[in-house]
Amino acid sequence: MVDLGLKTLLHDKIRFLITVSGVAFAVTLVLVQVGLFVGLLDNSTITIRKLDADLWITSKNSPNLDFVHQFPESNLYRARAVPGVARADNLILSFMQVSLPTGAEETAIVYAMEDFRRWGIPWQVTAGNVDDLKRGSFVMFDESASKRFGAFGVGDYREVNGQRLKIIGTSREAKSFTTTPLAFMDFRRAQELQPELLGGKTSYIVVKLAAGANVAAVQAELQRRLPYNDVFTSPAWAERSRGYWVENTGIGFNAFLTVFLGCLVGVVVVAQTLYTSTMEHLKEFGTVKAIGGSNLDIYRMLGKQATVAAVLGFVLGYVPAQLLKPVIASAGLKLIIAPEITVVVLVGTLLLCLVSALVSFRKVASIDPALVFRT
Amino acid sequence: MFNLAAEDVTKTFREGRETVEVLKGASLHLAPGEVLALEGPSGSGKTTQLSILGCLLSATSGKVQVAGKLVDATKPAKLQAVRRQHIGFVFQQFNLFPALTALENVEYALNLKGTAGDEATRQARELIARVGLADRAKFLPRDLSGGQKQRVAIARALAASPSVVLADEPTANLDASVAAQILDLFRELARTEGRSLLIVTHDPKVRRVADRVVHIEAGRIAA
Repeated sequence: MVDLGLKTLLHDKIRFLITVSGVAFAVTLVLVQVGLFVGLLDNSTITIRKLDADLWITSKNSPNLDFVHQFPESNLYRARAVPGVARADNLILSFMQVSLPTGAEETAIVYAMEDFRRWGIPWQVTAGNVDDLKRGSFVMFDESASKRFGAFGVGDYREVNGQRLKIIGTSREAKSFTTTPLAFMDFRRAQELQPELLGGKTSYIVVKLAAGANVAAVQAELQRRLPYNDVFTSPAWAERSRGYWVENTGIGFNAFLTVFLGCLVGVVVVAQTLYTSTMEHLKEFGTVKAIGGSNLDIYRMLGKQATVAAVLGFVLGYVPAQLLKPVIASAGLKLIIAPEITVVVLVGTLLLCLVSALVSFRKVASIDPALVFRT
Repeated sequence: MFNLAAEDVTKTFREGRETVEVLKGASLHLAPGEVLALEGPSGSGKTTQLSILGCLLSATSGKVQVAGKLVDATKPAKLQAVRRQHIGFVFQQFNLFPALTALENVEYALNLKGTAGDEATRQARELIARVGLADRAKFLPRDLSGGQKQRVAIARALAASPSVVLADEPTANLDASVAAQILDLFRELARTEGRSLLIVTHDPKVRRVADRVVHIEAGRIAA
């Protein structure tokens, strides 16, 4: 079969390039914006997902991981007494001030536990031993902190909340939604640094269930015994934390708006070029009708042109989005282009390009085949 | 038995609040193998008559028969089916698809008319050879002369062997010697293949190959 649609599309190379470029630009814009958004949300819950706990006991009505109230650390004993709980530990999460050699101060989010190794955080230790944290005035920083704190290394000292701590190790990939650097220290050390806020208090109790324990039953029993706390499964707590950032800040709307504008750019470019092309080829479409073709034959032709522009534009938009990953990482951000997002953007691109072709469909439907006799 | 017949055809168009009657009871017939020249001044209704005979337009009143069958003009799809099966067109401006080679222009018409694959390619090659362009089959229209383009257009019009070929000023954009060759080709097609040819023209040279010449003036046909 002679493919008139494809050959016509490729015949006018400049117009074809403009159409594909418009789609590619829109695809890159959408992928990067969605990827950054997903990256930020991933950071916001990465510790929940990496920490080896089945249940999180939080202060009442805590909105997300980072915004917590403290509650008595002795609640831990009630949690440990619940049947089905294999182990439970306190976890402090608190904002502390780090004095830098420059004289400036920066904020760090401090995670403090008695036994980090047991809970699997930090999950990527790049230097030092996490077990040493309990052996003195020690701290570990995530490598990403160097962007805000300046260069540091194992053996260096930093003042945290007025007390000099030795850096005994570093981690990787431990980030927060707000990009505030993460630090790890012993549970008691954190309480010493903020006695008024943390004395006798904890931010969370993390719970690991015994093998075969019924999650819902243990969760209900913990909730019954700790009525002034909330008890979440890890996935539910991660979802609640993500939901907070999406719904209660402008980030969700901002991402939606950029995606919408990206789609709009794509639709306008494709619709405009396809329509202009249709207008310029009106007589050819009239000829197709005159020699026996139907509107459907022409719709198929336009549909194929839109599909080719969509697929090629997607590929040309996907590649730069992937290439931007290291550039974005160097700015301390994370670009996550998951396979499911890739599929959604591809299908969306196809649909939007076909919708763009509808404008041309309407024009074609109204072509009078007798126009072939006009000069 | 006529390949093409029009009986008392009228056509009116609305232009604003006015109704313009372009055809006022035009009748004509074409026998198999006949070449008919339709002449007339600008605005006389030639193109409207051609559009109705070619099933591109429906008449306001009157009857049109193609290949012995009454054309049902009530639905565009029925007109399209008649065009696909029985009618070939040759245009003044050639109307070739610029992105397709000469061969592909013909093959595409065959595809639209229901022939596909290798068979369509084979038939397209035969038609291109039939109009003397076998060595130009792979050329795009922009690389062909006016006469060669018109030959491709004729080959395309012959795709799927229509019983009627309608030509609109086919020699208007050609120089005299090339126009003569094209007219000879038309004459030969009618004589050897029994097709009916209707040529709308201002060109007096067409008379040389026409079996009959009819005049149309102010929407009426006069022999």
